Amino acid sequence: MSSENIEIDEFHEGKREEVAKQVEPFFKGGPIWKRPFFGVFIIWSFMTLIGVLIGLFVPVHVLNGSSSSQQDSVKLTIVVFTVIAAPVSAVVYGIAAYSLIKWNKRGSGKSDTPPEDGVALRGHGPATVIWLSISVVLVVILLFWGMMVLSSEQTPQGDAIRMQVVGQQWVWTFQYGSTKITSTQLVLPVDRQVVFEVSSKDVTHGFWPVQLGVQVDANPGFSTTIAASPNKLGKFDVRCSQLCGLEHAYMQTTGRVVTEKQFEHWLAQKGASPKAIKLFTTDAK
Amino acid sequence: MTSTEVYLENTVLGPKAGGLYRHQNFGTGLISGIVFGFIGWLIGQELLQGSNWGSDMTVTVTCVGWVIGFLLGMGAFNAVGRWILGRDEDHEDQLYGAGVGQGWKRYFKFCTDHKVVGIQYLVLVMTLFGAGGAMAMMIRTQLLSPHMNWLSPQSYNALVSVHGMVMIIATIIMVSGPFANFIMPIMIGAKDMAFPRLNALSFWVVVAAVPPILGSFFVGGVDSGWTTYAPLSVQSFPGQDMFAVTICTFVISVTVAGINTLVTVITMRAKGMTMGRLPIFVWGSIIAGGLGLYAMPAFLMAQSALITDRVVGTSMYAPAQGGAGWLYENCFWIMGHPEVYVILLPAAGALVEIASTFARKPVFSYKAMVGAMMAIAGLGIMVWAHHMFTTGWAPTLANPFMLTTELISIPTGVLFLCLVGTIWRGNIWARLPMYFLYLFLWNFIIGGVTGIYLSDVPADQYFHGNMFVTAHFHFTLLGGAMVGAAGAVCYWFPKVSGRMLNERVGKWAFWLIAIGIQVTYYGQFLEGFQGMPRRVVNYNPLFQPANIMSSVGAYTLMTGWLILLYAIVHSWRNGVKAGPNPWHAKSLEWQTETPVPLENFLVDPVVTRDPYGYGEEATDTSQLTPEPVGAGSVSLGNEEGVL
Repeated sequence: MSSENIEIDEFHEGKREEVAKQVEPFFKGGPIWKRPFFGVFIIWSFMTLIGVLIGLFVPVHVLNGSSSSQQDSVKLTIVVFTVIAAPVSAVVYGIAAYSLIKWNKRGSGKSDTPPEDGVALRGHGPATVIWLSISVVLVVILLFWGMMVLSSEQTPQGDAIRMQVVGQQWVWTFQYGSTKITSTQLVLPVDRQVVFEVSSKDVTHGFWPVQLGVQVDANPGFSTTIAASPNKLGKFDVRCSQLCGLEHAYMQTTGRVVTEKQFEHWLAQKGASPKAIKLFTTDAK
Repeated sequence: MTSTEVYLENTVLGPKAGGLYRHQNFGTGLISGIVFGFIGWLIGQELLQGSNWGSDMTVTVTCVGWVIGFLLGMGAFNAVGRWILGRDEDHEDQLYGAGVGQGWKRYFKFCTDHKVVGIQYLVLVMTLFGAGGAMAMMIRTQLLSPHMNWLSPQSYNALVSVHGMVMIIATIIMVSGPFANFIMPIMIGAKDMAFPRLNALSFWVVVAAVPPILGSFFVGGVDSGWTTYAPLSVQSFPGQDMFAVTICTFVISVTVAGINTLVTVITMRAKGMTMGRLPIFVWGSIIAGGLGLYAMPAFLMAQSALITDRVVGTSMYAPAQGGAGWLYENCFWIMGHPEVYVILLPAAGALVEIASTFARKPVFSYKAMVGAMMAIAGLGIMVWAHHMFTTGWAPTLANPFMLTTELISIPTGVLFLCLVGTIWRGNIWARLPMYFLYLFLWNFIIGGVTGIYLSDVPADQYFHGNMFVTAHFHFTLLGGAMVGAAGAVCYWFPKVSGRMLNERVGKWAFWLIAIGIQVTYYGQFLEGFQGMPRRVVNYNPLFQPANIMSSVGAYTLMTGWLILLYAIVHSWRNGVKAGPNPWHAKSLEWQTETPVPLENFLVDPVVTRDPYGYGEEATDTSQLTPEPVGAGSVSLGNEEGVL
């Protein structure tokens, strides 16, 4: 560093206190509605409210219906993440909007000369530290939430049914393990974990039973697994989520969640022997 | 002496008659490219026995022929050729290479002047956005109705794929092309880039790379998306070969440009321009350049292996012969995620400059901002597998990748802190660039928050491969980076063009863009929530309202960009003349004349402080303002002909 530089740095050191004095205090001074903190707080509250409302409304009223505990936790995750993120994002909006409202020089947009220089504020240690700490805490919360949900939803259970899903351009085939029953419609018993062993005959497909809230790619040559726990009777959609060629858009089918009894009945109708059905549905236990 | 006079004086030196050097331009490049392409076609068909015009072998060799032929015809390798023959370029050759005395024609030549390259890049970027945007409009039109039969699935897939890749190419070069070339060397007080010929090469290589990907429509198109996942891409139409040649060529450009940026900043800074005084935009450019150097080779490998799989029958991605599609996916995303920061960081840097200039305040926590950019780059190379959460690859790595991905929100938060901290208590000058800064803040928060759902493995199991992802990355890349680039265009327009941008028209464009982005991508968020997959030519009628919303928004958005384009073109020709420093900014590029003279400064600048001293120099002006530059009259080329 040349001597010139040092001089300037010393100059800055000297100025720092002066600058700090010029900065109006964030929390103090004057009646409360005139303090910067108050204005920012109003905008912040408003934006937080909007964010929280979106977080509470969208998953319940816009998101596809749910047929499994996995999809239930997706919904919950969206609510929780939005509610956490809303106040944090609103800080940025609050500061930016307040600055614009309070310190925008009227008519400056049409002026060819700039307004006077602002306060030479080159940083604020405590603000940075608080900002960083909040980010770190949030990341930890998000991470633990994700890990918790992931492990609880994907832990294999003893009585899980294992079945095979095969993708090919452009149909899904579902094979019910030892019963050798195949179907192009996915029928699942309720309240029973299903482990899908997914593979493909040609290119990569994306197995996505939409309302079950799980997804895994179907790769040629080996199989991947994903678990779902249907918990609601009714229909659901199965789509392909990985571009797989010409008819990718049409590679979809429907599925049904039925009671255990109906499930066994359906398998029997498809031609499975009672022995095979029994083996298939109880073997896992 | 004004720069015009300097120019005129140098015109007298003039181009020397004769020599291949002086007869090469874009036209000869095109002719030579076509001839070499034809030779490539003959070789492919006759010698290598590609059975017909449409075979992979023929298409690949033709495209490679075009690229080599175009660059030879442009004169890209003339200097190298001379060195091989044992001669060096003399001073006049170098002046000619820098475009002295050639008027508008220098924009169509292999020109080594960084300012010419910057403007060339700007025009190319806008052309690419035009092409990609037109494709986007066709896609959105097809999606207006679930029963639309306007596009066949094949052409729809081709449009989706090429729209994606053309836009990615355009966004990678949209800030680091025009502004890291035109502005960055002036900002650090350099006379040019460190490697002017490589600089010109990096531009013309992109020009050579573009025709194959656009030409892919004529040989069946690409039907595997911009990601071109194997094995689908191995089986795809010959258009896939042209796509791969484009990528391999483009990677060369990014690599060359990245090295050039890094070396320029490390070695060519003016006296007193310490690393701690670099403008944030320069930091953004070099970090992005370095990150590009890390990321792009993986894409080159992935695509060259794809070519060999398709053309000569290797089995890199064929599971039955020991390959794996996951190999491709990994290579792709090792490029794919750092690449979004290659796009974002220069734009973010430009926005920091805008914030400081238009809030009339120093940058808030300079060091934290630089650190945050480095942290984003460092973490950015460790997050790629979050694109593969649902592929089934390495499920045990889900948690680590969730961790690294969510960690990135910390430095990104610092970026926001720096921006709003700079605005805070500034006397805001509400000119057009400031509008774009505010739009960036609004959009990028939404892009960031929707990103945390996707970083969460269980939620990603619903959102992956669905329109939610599309909306999310358009919010970050278009709503964030591209809006930042638009701000940069408005900010540096007076320096680049010498005229002021028409802000009345510009603000119309701004509001249409701002509203268009919200409507388009809120629509796509809704589609995603409702469960519509990406890249589908037709869809369930359930999704129609959201799709109509998105298409209407897209048309608004297109109108906005076209009006901005009109403002740019119109002001460039008829705008009010701008002085050297219309924004009264303090960084070096505003201290030199407009138009910028050939070697940028008539007197070598000496830097005594960082460029953000707003509100500080009032007490002691003599000590703190940078030395006046551009006031002296020193003729060019006085230093032994070094340009």
